[in-house]
Amino acid sequence: MKKLLGVALGILTAIGGFVDIGDLVTNAVVGSRFGLSLVWVVVVGVVGICLFASMSGRVAAVSGRATFEIIRERLGPRAAGANLAASFAINLLTLTAEVGGIALALHLASSVEPRLWIPVAALAVWLVLWRVKFAVMENVAGLLGLLLVGFGVALFLLGPDWGELVRQAVPPSPPATEHVATYWYYAVALFGAAMTPYEVFFFSSGAVEEGWTAKDLAQNRVNVLVGFPLGGLLSVAIAACAAVVLLPAGIEVSSLSQIVLPVAQAGGTLLLAVVIVGIVAATFGAALETALSSGYTLAQYLGWSWGKFRRPARAARFHLTMVVALLLAVGILMTSVDPVTVTEMSVVFSAVALPLTYVPILLVANDPEYMGEHVNGRVTNALGMVYLVIVVVAAVAAVPLMIATGAGS
Amino acid sequence: MSREASPGAGVRVVDARLHLLSRQVLDVDGEPVTTVDDLELVAADARDDDAPRDAAPGEPAEVGAILTGPVLVTRLLGGRPPASRWERVPWRDVGHVGTALELTVRADSLDVHWPEGWLREHVVGRIPGGRHDPEEDS
Amino acid sequence: MILGDLLDARVRGPGGEHLGTLVDVRLALETLPGDDSSPDYPDREDRALSEQVRRRDRVGRARVVGILVSPRSGAPLLGYERTGVTAPWPVPQLVRRRHRGTFLVPWEDVAAVGPGEVRLAAGYRQEDAALP
Repeated sequence: MKKLLGVALGILTAIGGFVDIGDLVTNAVVGSRFGLSLVWVVVVGVVGICLFASMSGRVAAVSGRATFEIIRERLGPRAAGANLAASFAINLLTLTAEVGGIALALHLASSVEPRLWIPVAALAVWLVLWRVKFAVMENVAGLLGLLLVGFGVALFLLGPDWGELVRQAVPPSPPATEHVATYWYYAVALFGAAMTPYEVFFFSSGAVEEGWTAKDLAQNRVNVLVGFPLGGLLSVAIAACAAVVLLPAGIEVSSLSQIVLPVAQAGGTLLLAVVIVGIVAATFGAALETALSSGYTLAQYLGWSWGKFRRPARAARFHLTMVVALLLAVGILMTSVDPVTVTEMSVVFSAVALPLTYVPILLVANDPEYMGEHVNGRVTNALGMVYLVIVVVAAVAAVPLMIATGAGS
Repeated sequence: MSREASPGAGVRVVDARLHLLSRQVLDVDGEPVTTVDDLELVAADARDDDAPRDAAPGEPAEVGAILTGPVLVTRLLGGRPPASRWERVPWRDVGHVGTALELTVRADSLDVHWPEGWLREHVVGRIPGGRHDPEEDS
Repeated sequence: MILGDLLDARVRGPGGEHLGTLVDVRLALETLPGDDSSPDYPDREDRALSEQVRRRDRVGRARVVGILVSPRSGAPLLGYERTGVTAPWPVPQLVRRRHRGTFLVPWEDVAAVGPGEVRLAAGYRQEDAALP
């Protein structure tokens, strides 16, 4: 029974932890403009993150090396240095988006201006990283993030035309009012929102720190293969709510209040409150992971002591890196830049950064020096090469599409 | 399948750049110390109590020390820091070699550890909770 | 002498002819009997997977065996031309093609090491670059 609870907890936290501010905003924007005609991208993205997460989990567990250590060891100092600069910058952008997301959600719940919440949110993130036992913070954030299922509840309460929704999705039929280039721009953005690089830095480092046993690896595989698709379903629910309420009314998503409008409409203040708690938890959890990822990437590139399980005094530079990253995020947000815009940029640049982590993991997953007999099988490699092509195409197309469509406007 | 070192002395052939450079150096407790930035090559026939002689081409040579240093800028832009800026970890302190190099000494005893030690004493250690073990039930 | 002086140096034969680039230095690590100081675990399930799989040898001295010379410049990705790894296709195959002809020169046959250049002695041997 206890074992079953443990397995369930792992899956539930994976579901609740799947959605972050990037998924929230991108799916809502896409739903409000394209209906469900981009759902296939969510499917492609979920399969991709399942493959990527389980492969990098296996690599970390078997080799005992975390992702950025592998990048440093296999690419050589100069290529890895360029990789670090890009990964760190994009990670920082994502962290900024997540902290901004926490502030926006707290603003929705209170009437206090987001700018005042930003330093509070960053301080709260730092305090949790400093003092709270990691398993506690991960489970609390993950379980509360499950409250985002309120979007699914709202969808049912809205009583939509299911046939119409399916018609938009299969085969993908974008509305005639939108340009083809914009459609593909949002496809790349949605892909980047599903396959976030920080996930891989975060849990490969955790796998190494915890010294995953074969049992832990099996648990991780279950969490990923069951939890992530269900999390993807939550993303689709967010898009569907926008498709049902915002698309017909021609409401463009530019703030969090529009994203939760369908929820308020369907279930009133009570459901809205539940969903807001879910948003705060999901973005807070993602902010913790992204802050840790900023520490992991820099510390692993430079060979410093790192770890969320180590006393801060035994990993001083690692902890200071996270403090600096949080301060930079706060600094960027205090310039009154719109956190929703930051989020939209962060998902597109996540797509650009994806090959930087994907390629080394795929190569090392085949290296017997690191993996012993646990190298990739033929099927994994075949799927891995297919996704290599997808990932590279998305990365190359992202910036030209962004320029051509004026970032989707 | 456990593959510990085979009994009896043997030889394992490795390539320096492929297997040793950029690898993690861990101390005896498994704490990361630094990365292998370069290797110092010395003459192999010196007796242990002699000062190490620089390796000569064609003469028997061996690895004398792991070198680490302020290489971040030079790694990115090219070139190499001057010899005086390198920190040495003598090769005799290396205990095990796998995908990382494990030393037989503690991190605190190494010169290369000083920035981490300094920050611990003067910054992180001074913030309340800095020395607290996060995995303890407080 | 440090390793960085040797890596990426131009390699010239005894007559000054250009042979290629020095891409790596081969070392022979003396492996010592295992001390197996790891604590006893009640059962293998509790051991970290990485501890069961990874190969780590207790080492003594590290002798310089020779230098690896490739006819092309640039460090070969992941050393695929020296290892037997074939996956994921087509990466190792492409690297092998680019660095075809890489050979090992024993350290005794290296005559001189200068800035950015290594000169081989007369009668230098060319041996198989594959890792044993």
